[in-house]
Formats: sequence, C-alpha cells, structure tokens
Amino acid sequence: MESDTKYKRLKDLSREEFILPGTTVCGGCGGLEALRLFHKVLGKNVVFVNAAGCFTLLALFPYSPFRGSWLYTNMASAPAGAQGVRDALDILIASGRLKPEDDMKVVVLAGDGSTYDMALSSTSGAIFRDLDFYYFCYDNEAYGNTGMQMSSASPYGSMTTTSKPAHLSTAGTRSHKKDIFEIWRAHKPPYIATISPRHPVDLSEKVSRSMQYKGPKLFIAFSPCPTGWMYDPSLTVKIARLAVDTGIWALKEAINGEVKHTYIPSKFKPVEEYLMTQGRFNHLFYPVRQDKILEDIREDINSYWEQYKK
Amino acid sequence: MAKELITGNVAAAWGVRLANVDYVPAFPITPQTEIIETLSQWFDDGIMNGKFVTMDSEHSMVTAAGAASATGARVFTATSSQGLLYALEVLYTIAGWRVPLVMVNVSRALASPITLEPDHNDILSARDSGFLQIHTETCQEVMDSVLMAYRIAEDNKVLLPFLINMDGYYLSFTREPVEIPSREKVKEFLPPYNPTHAFFHASTPMSQGVAVLGGPTYSYFKYQMHMASQNAIEVHNTAADDFNLIFGRKYGVIEEYRMDDADYVIVMSNTFATKGKTAVDRFRDKGIKVGLLRLRLVRPFPGKEITAALKHRKGVAVIDQNISVGSGGIFYNEIASSLYNETKRPVMLSFIGGLGGKDISFIEFQKVLNDTIMASETGIVPATQLLYTESEWQQMKKLLEIAGKTRQ
Amino acid sequence: MMIRIRFHGRGGHGIKTASRIAGTAASMEGFNVQDFPLYGAERRGAPLTAYTRISDGTIFERGIISSPDIVIIADDSLIEDPMADPLNGADTNTIIIINTNRPHDISEGLAARGRVFLIDATEISMSVIGKGSAISAAMGAAACRVTGLINKATVEKAVVKELTSIGISSEEIIRKNVEVAGTCFDSLPSFEIITRAETSQLLTKTIVLPYEAPAISTPNVIASGNIIERKTGKWRTFRPVINYDKCNHCWICFVWCPDGVISLDDKEFPHIDYDHCKGCLICYEECPIKAITVERESSSNEQ
Repeated sequence: MESDTKYKRLKDLSREEFILPGTTVCGGCGGLEALRLFHKVLGKNVVFVNAAGCFTLLALFPYSPFRGSWLYTNMASAPAGAQGVRDALDILIASGRLKPEDDMKVVVLAGDGSTYDMALSSTSGAIFRDLDFYYFCYDNEAYGNTGMQMSSASPYGSMTTTSKPAHLSTAGTRSHKKDIFEIWRAHKPPYIATISPRHPVDLSEKVSRSMQYKGPKLFIAFSPCPTGWMYDPSLTVKIARLAVDTGIWALKEAINGEVKHTYIPSKFKPVEEYLMTQGRFNHLFYPVRQDKILEDIREDINSYWEQYKK
Repeated sequence: MAKELITGNVAAAWGVRLANVDYVPAFPITPQTEIIETLSQWFDDGIMNGKFVTMDSEHSMVTAAGAASATGARVFTATSSQGLLYALEVLYTIAGWRVPLVMVNVSRALASPITLEPDHNDILSARDSGFLQIHTETCQEVMDSVLMAYRIAEDNKVLLPFLINMDGYYLSFTREPVEIPSREKVKEFLPPYNPTHAFFHASTPMSQGVAVLGGPTYSYFKYQMHMASQNAIEVHNTAADDFNLIFGRKYGVIEEYRMDDADYVIVMSNTFATKGKTAVDRFRDKGIKVGLLRLRLVRPFPGKEITAALKHRKGVAVIDQNISVGSGGIFYNEIASSLYNETKRPVMLSFIGGLGGKDISFIEFQKVLNDTIMASETGIVPATQLLYTESEWQQMKKLLEIAGKTRQ
Repeated sequence: MMIRIRFHGRGGHGIKTASRIAGTAASMEGFNVQDFPLYGAERRGAPLTAYTRISDGTIFERGIISSPDIVIIADDSLIEDPMADPLNGADTNTIIIINTNRPHDISEGLAARGRVFLIDATEISMSVIGKGSAISAAMGAAACRVTGLINKATVEKAVVKELTSIGISSEEIIRKNVEVAGTCFDSLPSFEIITRAETSQLLTKTIVLPYEAPAISTPNVIASGNIIERKTGKWRTFRPVINYDKCNHCWICFVWCPDGVISLDDKEFPHIDYDHCKGCLICYEECPIKAITVERESSSNEQ
C-alpha cells in the first residue's frame, strides 16, 4: 500500500492551476483553498454541478474562473444534476455522439447548508443509485452566503446570526453538528473522506486514492471562513491546523465503509487554543468564561476519539 | 394505417419511443405512473436505447432531466399535480438553461383537500416558468403533441422546454384508438438533436446557468426567453403543416369547433372540451349559433389568434377548469386582456367548472349559454360564477352532515 | 431640499454602517431619511455601495443614486476600479470626500472633478483604535459634516446607536469610534449643498431589445478562465512582499494561497501576481522563515 502513495510531500503537488484568480470570494477563503488543491488532483476535465452557496458566485456572468465546465442547479438538487450530466455523458459516448476523450469527471460542489440540510434527500438518492461522481462539500459550518445563519453543520457553542449568545442561550448554537460522514457511510459508498486545506498531502492522496473507485466519492472539506468565523484572513491555515491538532476536526476516510484515521495528533492540544482564534466563540470566554460549555465541547471531542481507541 | 386501442399514458410513452428519446428520469405519481412503467419496460427490453432512472423526488427528477438535456441528450420526463409543484423551482431553473426537453403533466387537482381527479391549477402554476405548453383533448393528440413538442422545442428560434398536458383519468387511463406511425415517418418529421448552445464536452468547456448581477443583464436573458417563446407560434405552425403532410393530421394553436357563423362562443380546454362540443351540437340542433374554441397552445399564449377568432362575436363564455383563488378564472383573464384593445369586442363571461374533475352537465352548459345571450343583449355582465347543480349541493349537504357538521 | 449621499467602499470597511450613521444622525435632527446598501456577489474586500437620502420633505425616490450631491470614497483604490466607478454621475457641484494617504496623487488626478476633499481616515482610525480597516464611524461622520445640517453631538449619538446595533458591545471600542468620528467631523468644512434633480436618465434613450439566437442568449460563459480579467488586486490594503535573498523556495506560500496567485519559477522561487492577490496575507503568516514582509498599499509600490 505504501508504494502506491502518490503524494508524500508538498512538492508532489501539481503546479498547474485549474481555478484562475479574480473570483469574488473573500480573501483568505479556506473553502477555495481546499477546492483549489482538490482540483489539482482531479485535473482539468471536470464539470462542476453547483448548489446555491458562496461558490455559486465563482462563475459570475460574464466571467468563469474554470478551465473545465460548470452547471448551476438549485440548492436542493445538485446531486440530481450530477446524475443527469453523468448519465447523458454515458449515453452520448455509448451512442458515438461524444468522443470518449471528451468525457469529464462530474463533481457536485456544495456548501454545508446544501449538503447537511436541503440536499440530503438528493444526495442520499445519488449514493443509493451508485452514481459515479465526486462530491465536494466546503463546510464552513453555517449558511455563509446569506450572512452566516445557523446550519446543521454549525458546531455547538458557536455564534451564528440566528444563534447568537443570549440571556436564554448562552452557548449560541445549542445543537450539535450533524454527523454527515456517518450518514453518508450508512449508504455504503466506496469512498468518503474528510479533508483540510492545512493538510494538502493528505488531501491530495485521498482524492488520488478515491479515483480508483467507481461510484460515489464524497469529501467534506474543513473550510475556515474569515468573514463568518470572525478572524483575520491571514489565520486561515493556522486555524485549520488547530482544528486538527485539537481533535475537533478528524482527518479520516472510509473505504467501502471501513473507517481509518489518516492523521492522529500524538497529543491533542486544548480545544480552547482553537476556539479562542475566532470571534464566533468569543462569548465562551468574554465577558465571563463559560466553563460548562467548554467542558461540553471537550467531552464531545473525547467521546468521539474514545470510540476509536477500543 | 392500423389503430391501436391505448390509453393517453401509453400514447405519451409511444410518442417518447418514436422520438428516440435517450434519457428518462422518473418518479411515480398517480395518475401518471403508467407512462413511466411503460417506458421502463421498453428500456429494460432493449426496445429503447439510453437510460431510465428512478429518482428520489420530482425536484431531483426535473433537475436530472434538465442537466442531461444541458449535456446534449434528448430527454423526457413526466409528472402530475403535487409532483409538478414540488419541482416548480427547477422548472424555472432549467427553462433558463434553454433546454428543449419534453415533460408530460397528467392533470390532477391540487391539495388541499388532496384528491385524484383533474383540473388545471397544477399545469397553470407552471405558466410563467418559460416552459411551452400544449393542452390535449384526445389520446391521439397526446402522442402527436409529444412529437411536435420535440420538433418545436429543439428549433433554434425557440430552444425552451415543453410541457404537454393531459387530464388524469379522462385521458391518462382512457383507452381510445390511436394511430401509431412508423419510425421512418417520424424521422422525416423530427431530425436528431445536436445543440450548439448547451452541452458539456471536455474539449469545449462551458459554464452554464451562471449567476448574473444587475437588472440589465437579468432582463436581457429573461426577455430573450419571452421572445423565443413567442417565436414558437410560427414554429408550431410550420411544424403543424409538416406534420399534416407526413401524418395527415392537422393541429392549430387553437381549435375552432363550429365557429364559422357563431354569435356565441364557449371557450374550454383539455378533455372537458369534448363535453362542450356535445353541448354545442345540441344548441346547434335548436338553431342557436354557438361554437366552441378549444385552447391548445397555451404557452406561448396565442392572443392574436384568439382575438381574431372572438372579436366579432356577440358573446363569449370562458369555462375555466382552474381557479386563481381571489381572482377567478386564469384563462378568462388572459383572453379578456387579449381582446381589450379591440374597438369591437364581445361581452365576456367567466365560469369556473370542473374543479377536482366535477362533471359539467348539459344543464350547466345551458346556464352558460343563457347568461351569455342575456349579457350580450343587456350589456350587463355577471361576475364569475361557479358551475354547480342543485343535486350536487344536496349531496354535499348530506356529506357534511355525515362528517358531523351541523348548521345553526 | 434633498441631499443624496453615495458611499463607496469595500466589504469590511463598514460602508453600510456609515450610511446608517448618516441616516440616523439626520433623522435625529428631524429630517426625513432613506438609507440602503447594495450588496453584490462580492465579498470582503470587494467594492460595494450604500446610499443615504436626507430631505426636509417626503422622499419620492428609491434605489440607487445616480446623481449624487456627496460621494464618500472609503478607499482611493476604488477610484480606478471599473466595478465601483465611484465618480459616475458626479459633476462639478458634487462634494467628493476621499479617504487616502497619498493626497498629492489624488488631488492631481481629480482637480477637474469638482469639490474634492481628502482625509486620511485610516490613519485617524489606526491612531485611535489601533485598526484601520473598519472606518464606518469616520466615513459616516464625514458625510454628516459636509451636509452642514447635522451637529457633532448628534453624529456621536448616531455612531453609538449604529455600532451598538451591529453587536459591538465593548464600551471602549464604541468610545474610540466616537472619538474617530469627532476628529473626522472637525477636519472637514461644512457646505452649502447645491442639490439638483436626478439627471442621468436623460442621458440615454430606450431601445427595442432584438431577439438573439440561443447560442448567444443562453446565460452561459464559453470564454473559460476569463475571470483573470478581473483584477482583484485592488482589494488589498496591505501587500505581501517576498524577500528573495531569504526565500528558500519551500513551496509553502504557493501551496496555501487560496486564490492561486503565487506561481513558482524554474528555480522554484515564488512570484506573487499583484493584479489578483487579495491581500489575505496567509503567505506572510505561514512563511516559516519570515521571508515575506507586509507593506501598506500606496502609490509608491504600485508598479
């Protein structure tokens, strides 16, 4: 298996760019950083099928940043759009109307609002039908494009514009982040992985590994959002690193359902180090430190990792 | 040519089969399901080439259909009622991609209360979406319209998706003799689809359906759709002439039944127009000069043709098998606005009839005609009226009683 | 009497809040007011616009202001930005307030454009608050001052109200913003505004839109990758600069640039595409040997 590894160090990454600069997304966007690295592995021949979200504005008339193709669908049905594109490409190639070299990889591009909430049914359908496609979820843990409202990917204790810390709910977001990885895994697709822009070698190796499987290949990209998480854009990579090092974002994959962590920090850093970098957790520390909530967050992390220690 | 006894659903499926459709994403809903069952069988038997796929909802189904069409395949799908509404946002989305797929809607009245029999609030909810629409009266017309729809939709002057409407039960499950043409003849009528405006090839990257900002850009794209839709009248008429030449059946954007010398015209659509024609025959037997105008091409709305057919009449009654709650009959309003700028125009009366598949009896047609004659003589036009009979009212009261409702 | 104020800024400047400070202050002074922001797809760093109308009568206008009496430009780089086009519709009577730290260049370029006043609100903000990015109080106060209709005390009250309403709870930060507002207010003269009717509608005529074939009129883009024509380099307030004497070509800045504006040459030295670099400064933050430094954007490094 070791000898199959294609990406071992930064310098194994492609120097070619597939998303050209000039897009309207925020400076320091962690999601774009992850997508850029993801695209380097897939290569040019890609058709993105997009759901409404921040990245809908990557292609903004009359401009396109892509060297490949793009289709904007709807917020709830990008995986169904991927089904239509994939099936039509197969039909056109089989009937000789499209040259095989004109084929493309079909990639759903959706944020966490679409992925965790609105498009869950159509994603479930696409995985169930064993659609041969890639799914890239840029998870910035809230409805970012509309101004950071709570989604079911928002972590417990975070502030969003619809779950602000208040007299009756000092935590901000009171619900716990939905485990979309496990929801997907229950469908038994050949490949699922979590990725982080801070771990480009791990990210590239996962994408590369997934390419050998036919069927759904699903990725959740940790996507630090300077605008919504309220931190200086220069800290995107630092925050992504802290998320992994504190254990709040687990880097893992599931090949045919079998879960394996691809990077486990030898010693977890205290989660406060991660939380304190972002304004969305500010209320956990100021004006008074909310120890009970911090304890809950630690407990969530511990119980996650406990289950894999046995 | 031999005729087969088939339902409207199977007639629709035959149209799809003859059109060499590549791709059918589907989702079941009564009373449409027989269409997709038939097509599914044909794909499985290898009679049709391409793919049939069952989706997870109509919303997904129409997305997949639009995306496949945007990739360059010839696509068909079908739904009904709630299903059409569940997919409604996608109808607008894919119409904007200018994809010429064809979709059959089997009309069924909308919840609540949930029911099964037809009226046209489902299909008319899609009237502003950019889809073209033909509403049909017979099983033969269903099959023929599917073929015509591909020909019109794929024309470079149009390139918009098409909805064909048939009434649930009244056509969908009703068998009638239908002439099924040979594949060779269909090839003569319908060339293959080779898009130059919407496709996905690795060698020619395209970003489709991209976001725009600013009113002038949005207005440009949206109004182009409107002009393309309006082009469809001329394109329809050319296609109809060719269709007549090849298959020997002639369709207009509207159908005029015994209207030559008619003083009074009843306007209807879909299968209930057959009931209207029977009533017209009976009135004619009595020597009353009545005709019927059946709306067929509903989008684009053939306002000019309708105006020409109606403006010199004494009275027109529109029976809407739909209701825009709080406004009234949808077709009534559209026809009235078409006629408004004519200096000479008939009095126009609005009736709501056949909601939820309620029958329209001769007594009710009698009422429609009497009111129309009266209004044309007095100039006093009554407000919108619901067609409803005394016996239906008595029966309804009984049902309310059984449901435990007591009146003060 | 109606005064139309148009604010131009970039996402993060607090331009919407500035327009609201002006609106609130004028309202407190008893005027009728209308204010609104126009968001595009653009994000932090990208141009956006906000508007405030102030009148002693009923306001029978809505939407964008095409003939402004006052233009407030929160960042001088916007002047040249075609997406922002802040001087559009301004004439010699329009009062133009520009936040800049390079007064000489700006004055020269705009000498013919009417009543231009320059202010270094970023510097004022940095010296008082320690941060120069959000300048809503400064820009709002500047707008209020030049109307000649609003008292300083009222402006300060409006700053407190608006900053509180966007969730700023620190009394210290609010107090410092009030101080910035006051300084900006005092640094500008007040004016007799020469107001006029909206005129831009008269400059064009209506047409009948022609039908175009779907190969043209489908909302798609076939010029793939043409986004490179959009120069997001204008978004920057600070620029990263690579010290090639120190650089050990480790690839880190290249790998972690979200927008892919850092490329590597044959010797694996990184090069920053300043036409597109948005100035997020991840490269500066991540460079393990501190071979990247940061400079404030100014005319001298703009080549």
